[in-house]
Amino acid sequence: MKRKLSTTIIMYIVLFIFLILWLIPIAIAFMKSLNINGFGNYLWVITNPDINYGRAVFNSAFISIATAVIVILLTSLAGYAFSKMKFVGSNVLYFMLLACLAVPGAAVMMPEFFTMKTFGLTNTYTGLIIPMVAFNALQMLLLWRNYMDGIPNEIIEAARVDGCSTFRIYWGILMPLSLPMIATTGVLTFVYSWNDYLTPLLMLRDKNLYPITLVATSFMDGRNHTEEMMAEMYAALILMMIPSVIVYLISQKWLQEGMTSGSVKS
Amino acid sequence: MKAIQSKSGKTTARSSRSWRYRIIPYLYVLPLVIISGAFIYYCMGFTIAMSFTDWDGISMDASFIGLKNYTKLLTPGSIFFQALLNNLIFLVVTVVVQAALGLLLAVILKERMPGSNLFKAFFFMPVTMAAVIIAAVFRGVLDPNLGGFNQVLADIGLGGLAHSWFGDPKTALLTICVVNIFQWTGFSMIIYYAGLMSIPQEVYEAAKIDGAGFWKTLFYVTLPMLRGTTNVLIVLGIVGSLKTFDIVMQTTGGGPGRATEFLNTYLYKVGIQQYEGGLSSAIGVLVLIIAILMSLGQMWLSNREK
Repeated sequence: MKRKLSTTIIMYIVLFIFLILWLIPIAIAFMKSLNINGFGNYLWVITNPDINYGRAVFNSAFISIATAVIVILLTSLAGYAFSKMKFVGSNVLYFMLLACLAVPGAAVMMPEFFTMKTFGLTNTYTGLIIPMVAFNALQMLLLWRNYMDGIPNEIIEAARVDGCSTFRIYWGILMPLSLPMIATTGVLTFVYSWNDYLTPLLMLRDKNLYPITLVATSFMDGRNHTEEMMAEMYAALILMMIPSVIVYLISQKWLQEGMTSGSVKS
Repeated sequence: MKAIQSKSGKTTARSSRSWRYRIIPYLYVLPLVIISGAFIYYCMGFTIAMSFTDWDGISMDASFIGLKNYTKLLTPGSIFFQALLNNLIFLVVTVVVQAALGLLLAVILKERMPGSNLFKAFFFMPVTMAAVIIAAVFRGVLDPNLGGFNQVLADIGLGGLAHSWFGDPKTALLTICVVNIFQWTGFSMIIYYAGLMSIPQEVYEAAKIDGAGFWKTLFYVTLPMLRGTTNVLIVLGIVGSLKTFDIVMQTTGGGPGRATEFLNTYLYKVGIQQYEGGLSSAIGVLVLIIAILMSLGQMWLSNREK
């Protein structure tokens, strides 16, 4: 397809207009974060015991990593069973699980909160991780099942003839073959859990357990009175974005694949 | 005798082995079925049951009050309908704008000009960030006094436009849409990009032989072939709209008045802040019904296309 020089120039102009529009809020936030005390604002945020930046990063990381590991284990096992084993009711069970994908988590927030409260799990990491696993696992199950469908049955047959147990096949053969899927579902679950706001909002009152999303909101209120407070607030927000940017830069490829794979197929 | 014994012994061994083989798949799916399936179905059942009661959301007592919660929600002019309308406006505005901008970016990026991968990575980045933090940045930047955006407007001679973007009921909802568009345009871009890549090269060759130029190819070949992709984005937009909560809570909290009340913020306020768990559950049931109708519609649509 021929493309004229004028078309190329127009395309670059459009791209740069988008770039500028998208940079405006970030640029304002960054410039304002240096008001009055310069980078001292960042130091103030990091050393502020009320924000407890290090603790918030740790909480977010711990919750997200735990959720991701559990989701990978549960959904790879189930994906293996649904894809490679014949058992009565497998289709019904699979359909019933995938039907939950249509349920918006927010619609059932009342029983979610009430159940965790009844079991005494509010204000614990467990009380956050269980609902996060529950709601993230379904999309990952879909990805795992499709991936397992793509692994040839002959590999499993050969292993069975050699006397491998079902679990040995899973752990020793399928999982090493599934490293890209482990990366994709792990990174996706990590990012979704890291960004989750509603679940911690429902479950946590103890500030020591607050992940970054909750700190970001509780810290915002009443911060717009002086230039200095605004500068500190912007510094805090930029510091809170940095871990996400780092994760994105490392795992960009898997994130893009994971987020699009489900949607392009259907 | 011995032979028979050993034979029967072998049979028992095999049948117990096959019994074990038959139970293994269930063991493999069980953890997921319990944590995810049972948990979510239990939550749905609980919501449906409680929607017919005057439950306060925290205690164990609740008494049956019939359809009272539903009649309260479904009276004309209720807050529920206001929230539903806001969700709908949000849905239409964000889906249309995100699709248009995302398509424009994808069409340009597909030309693979130098630097296009950097642009792609940049525009996709907000998708992977927390909505509350992006919303917080916008809330700061658009603050009428010290935010900075109104100052920028004044500097480029548009000072007349400056006002309280989230505080004015006329602009609050659209400003929330802008935050969503900022975050999700990169997603539409990636989906369209993948859609463009899946169009076979021969189609373009054929268009070239027919003498179609760049723009003609775009409008008569590329766009019509992306219809399926657009449908996917509409469905995902509906799902996303029904999930919207973070941005609204962070920026306006549903205000001013009820100008930006969404179904989920309304549900949250009624249930968690006003201790009306029964009413809140009824909102949840209505949201579930909408969500289920939408996914049935999607299945019907995708079956019809086949």
